[in-house]
Amino acid sequence: MTESYHTDLTAEEQMEIERLKMHKQILLEDIEKLKNQIENVMADIQDFKSAEDNKMLEREKRFCSGKKKFNMDPKKGIKYLVDNELLDWKPERVAEFLYKEEGLNKTAIGDFLGEREDMHLQILKAFVELHEFSDLNLVQALRQFLWSFRLPGEAQKIDRMMEAFATRYCNCNANVFQSTDTCYILSFAIIMLNTSLHNPNVKDKTSLERFISMNRGINNGQDLPNELLTNLYNSIRNEPFKIPEDDGNDLTHTFFNPEREGWLLKLGGRVKTWKRRWFILTDNCLYYFEYTTDKEPRGIIPLENLCVREVMFPRKPYCLELYNPNSQGQKIKACKTETDGRVVEGKHQSYTICAASAEERDEWIESIRASITKDPFYDLVSTRKKKVINTVTEN
Amino acid sequence: MGNYFTMIFSRPFPKKQIKLLMVGLDAAGKTTVLFKLKLGEVVTTIPTIGFNVETVEYKNISFAVWDVGGQSKIRGLWKYYYQYTEGLIFVVDSSDHDRIETAAEELNAMLAEDEMRDAVLLVLANKQDLPKAMPVHELTDRLGLHALRGRQWFVQATCAVQGSGLYEGLDWLSDQLSRR
Repeated sequence: MTESYHTDLTAEEQMEIERLKMHKQILLEDIEKLKNQIENVMADIQDFKSAEDNKMLEREKRFCSGKKKFNMDPKKGIKYLVDNELLDWKPERVAEFLYKEEGLNKTAIGDFLGEREDMHLQILKAFVELHEFSDLNLVQALRQFLWSFRLPGEAQKIDRMMEAFATRYCNCNANVFQSTDTCYILSFAIIMLNTSLHNPNVKDKTSLERFISMNRGINNGQDLPNELLTNLYNSIRNEPFKIPEDDGNDLTHTFFNPEREGWLLKLGGRVKTWKRRWFILTDNCLYYFEYTTDKEPRGIIPLENLCVREVMFPRKPYCLELYNPNSQGQKIKACKTETDGRVVEGKHQSYTICAASAEERDEWIESIRASITKDPFYDLVSTRKKKVINTVTEN
Repeated sequence: MGNYFTMIFSRPFPKKQIKLLMVGLDAAGKTTVLFKLKLGEVVTTIPTIGFNVETVEYKNISFAVWDVGGQSKIRGLWKYYYQYTEGLIFVVDSSDHDRIETAAEELNAMLAEDEMRDAVLLVLANKQDLPKAMPVHELTDRLGLHALRGRQWFVQATCAVQGSGLYEGLDWLSDQLSRR
């Protein structure tokens, strides 16, 4: 076809055009090949990235559950984080975690810092060193320090904590006290004063005169200026040490980052009606809520020793069932909140839950199955229980 | 009916207030003792930063129990709280063979305080449920209680975690103190 337009070209020129066309064709093929190769490489990169993302996500999840464990039992929580290589078992690293990490319960932090083992003492020291007390007076510094954890009530623990505090305070403020001991004894006296003035169980309240005489001679045998002691006394009398606010008790942390969440229908335990509930699967428990914005769940089903299976139900095609394979006829261990606010035991021998599609149902079954924990003692106890019941009925 | 009468008769007399101190080494079980004594009562007090202080009502006596202790450097401060103390509760971990001498020193230092001259001594031989726990007579020896002169003392075996023995201890204290 094209030839007809180029009749005025010489034979040689025609040859040249053909050659160029051939070359173009080859180049186009090369481009196609390269495109394919690039696509393959891109796919490989994507795979790596998502594997990396998954790893990060997995890590993030384990970190979160480590924090939850910490709030319930600080020693166990830290051990979990260390065992999972999410935290270095070094005083500085642990101290930083306790000082900076959000969502930790401050009572748990206080309990952890108060232990008397050598490692805990080193962590306490590193924790105190993360505070900056320069140019603060003693009570200001104490207020700041006692806000970062909940001071335990045991005298020996308070003693260790005040000693560590005093060392840091004197390092930050070289010329305020003649010795660290003076600062330590005075800090301890201030905690005693706060207890005496503000704990309602103490009837015999310390007066300013008594506070001054208590602290006589603590400055290397000398007295501290009356004015200083009077100011400290008034500050504590007018404003007790605040109880540190806790973000660790907030339930939203529990429901953050769940394994799976979504709307499902739940069949009632006694009244057989279907109720639409927002379900959250996390920490080996299934929670359900009336609304997605509810702060507290209507019901909690621990998945310990339960089984899950697909089940057929008239007019509800995509159902699953949670049941107890070993103790049929018994109620499943669970709890729910009644409309009047009372928390009561669950009334279900099995839970029937309906999803919107077969696919959704299968996904839920799979996630629930992965979350079910097995406690060998549970079976043991239930077999025992059966035996006892049988012997009683036989007799 | 009996309760009704005691109620009427005890009304006009205010409850006797008694100040008790509780000491013992770290991890002897002091906090558990306090917690168990408070168990079952309605807790209405606002939490306070500071030392554990609890009031326990028992047999018409109100006990105020302070958790005290720490290094010798701060002994001087506690003296001011020892005044008018009528009883000392010393909690000892019966299974801690390594630190029993330290515990004995702590106890003796406490009893040597001038303000503790008239205080009666109740020793709670705690953690009796543990397999290596020393029996009461051995603890009595190792704490040197037989050498005490002019002091009312009593050793009560306890297991604070289970709550056993605690009220028997308080019984002895209220017996001693109501005679005064």
